[in-house]
Amino acid sequence: MAEGATLQNTANETFGKLLARNASSHGSSIAIREKERGIWKESTWAEYVEVVLACAAGLRKFGVKPGKAVLILGDNRARLYQGMLAVSLLGAYAMPAYPGATLEELQHFLGEVDIVAAIAEDQEQVDKILEVRKAGARGIAHVIYDETRGLGFYEDDGLMSWDHLIEVGRHDLNEDPHRREELLNKAKPDDPAIFLHSSGTTGKPKGVVLSQRNVLAAARNGHEAGAFDQNEEILAYLPMAWVGDYAITVAAALLYRFTVNVPERQETVVRDMREIAPTFYLAAPRSWDQMLTTIQVGMEDSTPVKKWLYHFFMDRATAAETRKLNGKSGGLLEPVGRFLGEAIVFGPIKDQFGMSRLKNAFTGGEAIGEDTFVFYRALGIKLRQFYGQTEISAISAMQAPNEVRLHTVGKPAPGVEVKIHESGEILLRSESVFAGYFKKPEASAETLEGAWLHTGDAGYLEENGQLVVLGRISEVMHTGGGERYVPNYIENRLKFSPYIKDAAVVGAGRDELTAMVCVDFEAVGHWAEVNGVPYVSYSDLSQRDEVAALLHEAFLRVNKALTEALQLKRFVSLPKEFDPDDGEITRTRKLRRKVVEERYTDVIAALYDGSKEVHVSAQVTYETGEVGKVERSLPIREV
Amino acid sequence: MFYRLSGVHHANYLSDSRIFKVPADRNLAAFIFLIGIAAPFIIPSLYLNSYMLPWLIWTAAALGLNLVTGWAGQLHLGYAAVMAVGAYSAIHAVRFGVPWEFALIIGGLTSSVIGSLFAFAALRVKGLYLALTTLAMQFVMDWVLTHSPAITGGSHASLQSPTLALLGQEITSDVGYYYVAFGWCVLVTIFMLNLKRTGLGRALVAVREKDFAAAILGVNSFYYKILAFATSSFIAGVSGALLVATFFFLAAPEQFSVNVSIQVLAMVIVGGLGSIIGSYFGVALILLVPGVVNGLFFTASQSLGLQINVETLAHIPNAVYGALIVIILLVEPLGLGKLYGNIRDYLMVWPFDQLRK
Repeated sequence: MAEGATLQNTANETFGKLLARNASSHGSSIAIREKERGIWKESTWAEYVEVVLACAAGLRKFGVKPGKAVLILGDNRARLYQGMLAVSLLGAYAMPAYPGATLEELQHFLGEVDIVAAIAEDQEQVDKILEVRKAGARGIAHVIYDETRGLGFYEDDGLMSWDHLIEVGRHDLNEDPHRREELLNKAKPDDPAIFLHSSGTTGKPKGVVLSQRNVLAAARNGHEAGAFDQNEEILAYLPMAWVGDYAITVAAALLYRFTVNVPERQETVVRDMREIAPTFYLAAPRSWDQMLTTIQVGMEDSTPVKKWLYHFFMDRATAAETRKLNGKSGGLLEPVGRFLGEAIVFGPIKDQFGMSRLKNAFTGGEAIGEDTFVFYRALGIKLRQFYGQTEISAISAMQAPNEVRLHTVGKPAPGVEVKIHESGEILLRSESVFAGYFKKPEASAETLEGAWLHTGDAGYLEENGQLVVLGRISEVMHTGGGERYVPNYIENRLKFSPYIKDAAVVGAGRDELTAMVCVDFEAVGHWAEVNGVPYVSYSDLSQRDEVAALLHEAFLRVNKALTEALQLKRFVSLPKEFDPDDGEITRTRKLRRKVVEERYTDVIAALYDGSKEVHVSAQVTYETGEVGKVERSLPIREV
Repeated sequence: MFYRLSGVHHANYLSDSRIFKVPADRNLAAFIFLIGIAAPFIIPSLYLNSYMLPWLIWTAAALGLNLVTGWAGQLHLGYAAVMAVGAYSAIHAVRFGVPWEFALIIGGLTSSVIGSLFAFAALRVKGLYLALTTLAMQFVMDWVLTHSPAITGGSHASLQSPTLALLGQEITSDVGYYYVAFGWCVLVTIFMLNLKRTGLGRALVAVREKDFAAAILGVNSFYYKILAFATSSFIAGVSGALLVATFFFLAAPEQFSVNVSIQVLAMVIVGGLGSIIGSYFGVALILLVPGVVNGLFFTASQSLGLQINVETLAHIPNAVYGALIVIILLVEPLGLGKLYGNIRDYLMVWPFDQLRK
């Protein structure tokens, strides 16, 4: 089997060897582009590796060594990526954190491992680290920052600019001619590549250390499954602390020499994406939904002729895709419509969003709505679903370009074995599976059983080898009547409506299911403007009767697909969005069910005691860290 | 629809400031350039000579006026007089024995010197007063031309242009004349395209918007106004000389009278102030449309069997053509160039209605 060959190939590869290979044999091709003041600053592989080496030499001087960790804090920046690689070369833990990480989260990380240095994006992140230091945390002796603005007058110990670090490193490299070789060959395949954290929908996030062998194996598995080719153009815009970003932007980019494009800032991603036109693009279903909404809203605002043309071609293309999805073949005129539509409507739309060169488009993390999925397929983008988790370096199964079904996540990648446990849980085995949670032997033993990774997801394999994921096995719940359901499954169906941003389905142990939803401010706000519905704020908008009618439709649609016992009976539209700062959702926007159920006890009680209204005061954490309250009485709506 | 922008990015400021940032624009320009080169083989010689050639030379001239009026914002009603200076000095230089290449430059430089005199007026007066001053200078120039037999041969005489010869090659064929005109027009167009992205171009725009505000920004408006007049006059002079050498073959004062000045200004305004492609459109409208409308009316009246007397027939096209200019300026005060820009913008965001944030 090809698997044997895969194991052989990855066995001895390390980041150091790959960096050396890219610098010597492809030294003049572009490794990374970073947008700065509108200009894409390019670095070739040779330059890139030189900076990584200088950074590694500098960090070594400042006491970074195996067993120690370096915190990486900020949005995607070329230097932060280089810093992560440098830390890996030294055999230490590179620990990226979400840029929005709070002090508590950082303190939790500090408690896990000895963090000796931090590489921060800008003043905001530096302030955070200094505050943690002031709060009495030991460690983080050295803080390196990328963006110098606002930091000129800081006089804290160990604070230095990136340029200073590189200078120290360069000096060291020049002094010892063997240093380069030494740094490149120091780390072994089983040395750590990255220290991540599981998303932590329940309890504190657990530390996940992936070795260089793990992530490179994952990249190779993905390549063999057809996820990406050599030399892809990619946009590095996903959070650096998310495993998917690391597997693609660092591991696969190193192995297959991608050109990584770092956008100027989060706000300019859409524009930058157009300028780059990536060939590989991975996004959460939510982002695909958002883009769909933007396209649809844009077309609604367009002139009648263009609207007519759009609907003429789009309706036919979506119908054709739906037919294909249901296994039927299309008519004779279909290719003609496809061709004209591509020239007149689809091509220009894809061009506007920088998707004209897109070959490998992926969605993952959760289920995607049929409408969204079919829309992009109709647009000519071969959107595919993939399945993976932090513990297996992000890549375990994905759909093939031409064999797409909505309910499956595709076949397991070559090099990944799948087994279904008696309990219905999906078990995975691969070279890319991690060695266990960091300093948590019990949790590790639970998750790893003889090299088989317990994913915690319920699912099954179809006869043709396609994997179907149902939902978290821990989330399977029962109503009072003993009916089995997965709330997440229903919530996702609710979220397929463009007007619903988040939803929480309640009803475990009760007779009926009900739901709390947060409306999507942008989509509903636009709808309100177009339809002349006045509102002053989010909390006002969310309670309007007109909006309730809108939500009601979405609920009816979802109920149609559910059995009688599982239909949603009532709902409340919440006056504030779920926010990771308030702890209601994780940074990857997964629901923290316990927190939500605790915080909205009154609302849940009111949903079942037959009252018509409930008074709530919801807690809001502002970006400054202050805590405020939103008070309002919410009507309870019947479906 | 045709404008595809995805994947267009700039790795340095040089690439960011190139002339055609949109691939479709560059392709269109290249296509038009190729048509221009192939024109003698496509277009019958009659049309080539009586339509294409004057169109190109007048476009070059109009671009020169656009520089001073559209970019630097100085109203100029004596442009034809400056062209006359170039034409006469070039011809006299050739007759004196100077080769045509240098004669053209001499014509341009003489125009520059005389044209800069206009600039000194512009430094003192603005707006309508400047218009009147330049108009007065046009009349002065007319008077000088008609009353100096040494230059023009007298009020009713005309001056024969010697045979054009460039790079030791006598040019006598229609195709040859066309390529000379084409080459000059391309040269001026490239100059104007580049002007937009130079410090000079930005300084001129600053002077146009408000000269004392420009002065506060450190832009010496005195210097730039003179520079604008001198540069535009140089273009005018060479264009005037080439017009005589390739189209009229003899120079007479009435070829550069005040109504010609107003016509060139009309070309620039109808085409669009500060618009390069607009200058092409404006010249085409002012220069070529009267003939087209005339022909249309003639055929229409013939085929419908209408017995319209000759005088009416001569006047109707003029009225229609005048109405056309008024309508265009009512629809889009910024001229034909802006109309083209509107269409371009429409296609640029296709199929959406406006640029998304």
